[in-house]
Amino acid sequence: MKKILLIGLKLGLICMVTSLSLGFVNVVTFPSIAKNKEIALQKALAIVNSTGTPGEEIFVNGDSVVKSYYPVKLNNGEINSYIITLIGEGYGGDLFLLANYEKSGKLIASVLMEHKETPGLGDSAERSFYHTKFIGKGDDTPIPTKKSELSVADADAIGGATITFLGVANALRYGSDYAKKIGEKK
Amino acid sequence: MIKELTKGVFKENAIFVMGIGLCPTLGVSTKVVNALGMGAGVIFVLICSNIMISLLKDFIPNKVRIPAYIVVIASFTAVVEMVMQAYTPGLFRTLGVFVPLIAVNCVIFARAEVFAGKHTILPSILDALGAGIGFTLGLLVIALIREVLGSGTITLFPLGSFEGVIDIPVLINSPVRIVGLSAGALFVIGFLQAFLNWYIAKKKEVK
Repeated sequence: MKKILLIGLKLGLICMVTSLSLGFVNVVTFPSIAKNKEIALQKALAIVNSTGTPGEEIFVNGDSVVKSYYPVKLNNGEINSYIITLIGEGYGGDLFLLANYEKSGKLIASVLMEHKETPGLGDSAERSFYHTKFIGKGDDTPIPTKKSELSVADADAIGGATITFLGVANALRYGSDYAKKIGEKK
Repeated sequence: MIKELTKGVFKENAIFVMGIGLCPTLGVSTKVVNALGMGAGVIFVLICSNIMISLLKDFIPNKVRIPAYIVVIASFTAVVEMVMQAYTPGLFRTLGVFVPLIAVNCVIFARAEVFAGKHTILPSILDALGAGIGFTLGLLVIALIREVLGSGTITLFPLGSFEGVIDIPVLINSPVRIVGLSAGALFVIGFLQAFLNWYIAKKKEVK
């Protein structure tokens, strides 16, 4: 009994020391990590926004895809578009997207901010050319969510990373419908 | 003493001779820059965990040595993860899920169990360094072949006006896509292993 207790104590001590060390590293690195996230968000906002000045972030509760949105206003105060923060389901986990939509649901620009997709395959979704197949769609023409709705070249380009494509496309289409909904309300 | 360093690089190379650490090898070896980042992370965790385990070898009870090693290795991996996320966010984003997976890399666990748990600090550091360099070299060779043939590029770190990507003429427009996929990685590893076996056998014949 005494022997088992001693083994447990030793293991507990190792765990305690490593936890304290990790806590220290976390305290040191946390400000830089938070700063990097803020820089990434501002960069993404600058990429997708060409339509006006983004207002304050409005958080959405109880929606698994739309996390929040920013109404983009013109100089006269009129809302011109909505930048929506979306969460898609990718191959390696959640895909965090930022997309700017007109009130009609038409996609103006989108960018993949965070993901855990396979390097060299799914991670091509973070490149700007990946999003060209969705841009300009969402009002009369729906955002493509199937390979058959893409051109041959676009369908070939997503080969090997179909789940990533579905995650991005479904989130963008959901965002388009959401923009239409809030556009009609206001 | 120098034998402890060189054996991990050639004679006991983790990827080509021992066939361990193949999961991250398949996943990460799509770009040269990923191989460099992953290699640096593995070398850091290998050296730190070997030092710690070698120091604690008389303190850690034999019955719970495996969970104790896992705690030590996972902690150093978490350190690498946080430091990368804070100071090299671009590389952290690129390596993605493979950074936390360093904790379950068989190369690190094998060196802890086979070597660091039975030897003093200096040989353990040399063993870790040799095994880490061997793993990184293997990863680099595979990544170079896969990226050149599979994507027609060589991706390095951006530096000043250099964007970090070198385009390979002809291959950039018509790459051999299969080499970039996981199946392609298995082909490349298989061919490299076959070449190494042929080379070693030929060397023995000459002797």
